[in-house]
Amino acid sequence: MVERNTFRLMLLILGVIFAFLYIPISVLVGLSFNEGGLPTAWTGFSFKWYGALLDSDDILKAAGNTLLVALVSTLVSTLLGTLLAVGVEIRRRNGKWLETLIFAPMIIPDIVLAIALLSFFSLLSVKMGLHTIIVSHVVFNLAFVCAVVRARLKSFDWSIVEASADLGASTLTTLRRVVIPVLMPAIIAGALLAFTLSVDEFIIAFFTAGAGRSSITLPMQIYAMIRFGVTPEINALATIVMSISVVALALSQRLNKGGLPGQ
Amino acid sequence: MTEAFLSIRDVHKSFGSARAVTGVTLDIHENEFFALLGASGSGKTTLLRILAGFETPGCGDVRLEGVSILGQPPNQRPVNLMFQSYALFPHMTVAQNVAYGLQMDRLPKAQIKARVHEILQVIQLDHLDRRKPDQLSGGQRQRVALARALVKRPKVLLLDEPLGALDKKLRSEMQLELKRLQAEFGITFVVVTHDQEEALVMADRIAIMKDGGLLQVGTPHEIYERPATRFAADFIGVMNFLPVTSAGTGFAAADGSPVAAGHGLTQTGRAVAAIRPERLQIGSAGENRLTGRISAIAYHGLDLQLHVTTTLSDTDLIIRMTADVADTQAPAIGQPITISWSAKDTHIFPI
Repeated sequence: MVERNTFRLMLLILGVIFAFLYIPISVLVGLSFNEGGLPTAWTGFSFKWYGALLDSDDILKAAGNTLLVALVSTLVSTLLGTLLAVGVEIRRRNGKWLETLIFAPMIIPDIVLAIALLSFFSLLSVKMGLHTIIVSHVVFNLAFVCAVVRARLKSFDWSIVEASADLGASTLTTLRRVVIPVLMPAIIAGALLAFTLSVDEFIIAFFTAGAGRSSITLPMQIYAMIRFGVTPEINALATIVMSISVVALALSQRLNKGGLPGQ
Repeated sequence: MTEAFLSIRDVHKSFGSARAVTGVTLDIHENEFFALLGASGSGKTTLLRILAGFETPGCGDVRLEGVSILGQPPNQRPVNLMFQSYALFPHMTVAQNVAYGLQMDRLPKAQIKARVHEILQVIQLDHLDRRKPDQLSGGQRQRVALARALVKRPKVLLLDEPLGALDKKLRSEMQLELKRLQAEFGITFVVVTHDQEEALVMADRIAIMKDGGLLQVGTPHEIYERPATRFAADFIGVMNFLPVTSAGTGFAAADGSPVAAGHGLTQTGRAVAAIRPERLQIGSAGENRLTGRISAIAYHGLDLQLHVTTTLSDTDLIIRMTADVADTQAPAIGQPITISWSAKDTHIFPI
């Protein structure tokens, strides 16, 4: 019965790991519905902290900013990242080189990227604000979109591109009617991933937002609020941000048939 | 003489240091079913892709109805290619796949619809017009690919191993089907194949390719009965080779017995005599004869093939025996046998 015991031990370890991963999140989600608002006692189920979020202009403003940054940077990086992936795949010469260059922002620590972008914008004397956050988010999102689309391109049958040309289509028509529709699941998956990454990105946004409160994003708002202690509103806000991320990521994975970016 | 319909003039193509096509000159006639036959790496697919416009030859010219088409990109050539992998658009239905080429020609919607419907009826797939390619069998996909290329009514239809992915029974059905469609549409077909039987059954004329060049061009009958080289003789069908040496005005086998030949009489020195299995007969009726021993019997249903070991050759000779003859003669392994054949069926090739 050694095998059986080994199996039980493995299940136990797995359980401990999952508990470690998910108990804090569960507590956070649970407390966001706690009427009393104190982490020490459960006083009843309530949506009142979610309601409180709606009354805070700061939070609504930050949410609007985050949504704007995420949408625009996702749009731009999806467009560029897809074209980049297709272009690199077609001109495979020096492919390894290009690939390293493209994927570097995925590997470079966020803090390094943040400082680099801050120095860059200062050097150019760009006035910082939401637009610089958007540009900065495009930098790393581009790499992720490109990685997801390239993974799909690995199994792409290029003979359909030739078939399209043979049947009389121009290069642009082929791109529009054949290449992009076939890649669409990967493109959407890449876009959802980019959106997720942008919504909860803190460090780079923090460095490139510039002075003042006008271009504050949700993660930055949470950080600002948390300095006065964890309030029930933060729990509610974090739960919302997490839900958006989880849904987008799940959709992305589903569309991409389980393939992780870069694979 | 006026120029041929499709004229290939001294076409060369290299990939780096590898020479894929080395000086091919070939005339293909209008409404002809032409086969490029060769083993893999013979350059036949490269030549086909040059005709389609996907490869540019290093030098030489390709003219269609007297006009060079080398300057036209693939999407402007009046030529369509049926891909070996079929290359169907996976996100489009059967009808959308077939309509694609007509949409590129900017034909009116009603006309596109009518022509798609018509061609799907011809290939008997009109009931599956809303299926996606991954919901079709291999044979159905093959027919959609054919319809998609054919519906544009190109001047020349290029087919890259069109039957390569089908099983044997379906393949022989489709050989006749392709011939029927070619006659019905009156379009010049250029098909690339490595299957010599397929080429013999379908084509009006065949070009055998080897190492990027043409070995022989002719009708199936010419290619089979009058092979120009030993390679062509060996490549098409089954061929027996018997080592001979020139002796006086004729040739002699290894034991000195004379071998009378009908073709290639100018060879001197060491050579081989080539004879088709179906031209060998049991008994001593022909001018040439030899004796041997049956070493193996291969039963094919339609006929038997007897493998005969003889001291005159290192390899066994193969004789075809029809089923009715086999019934009366009952050949057995180990049995001595006398074989004869006529001079007119004997080709002499350099060794």
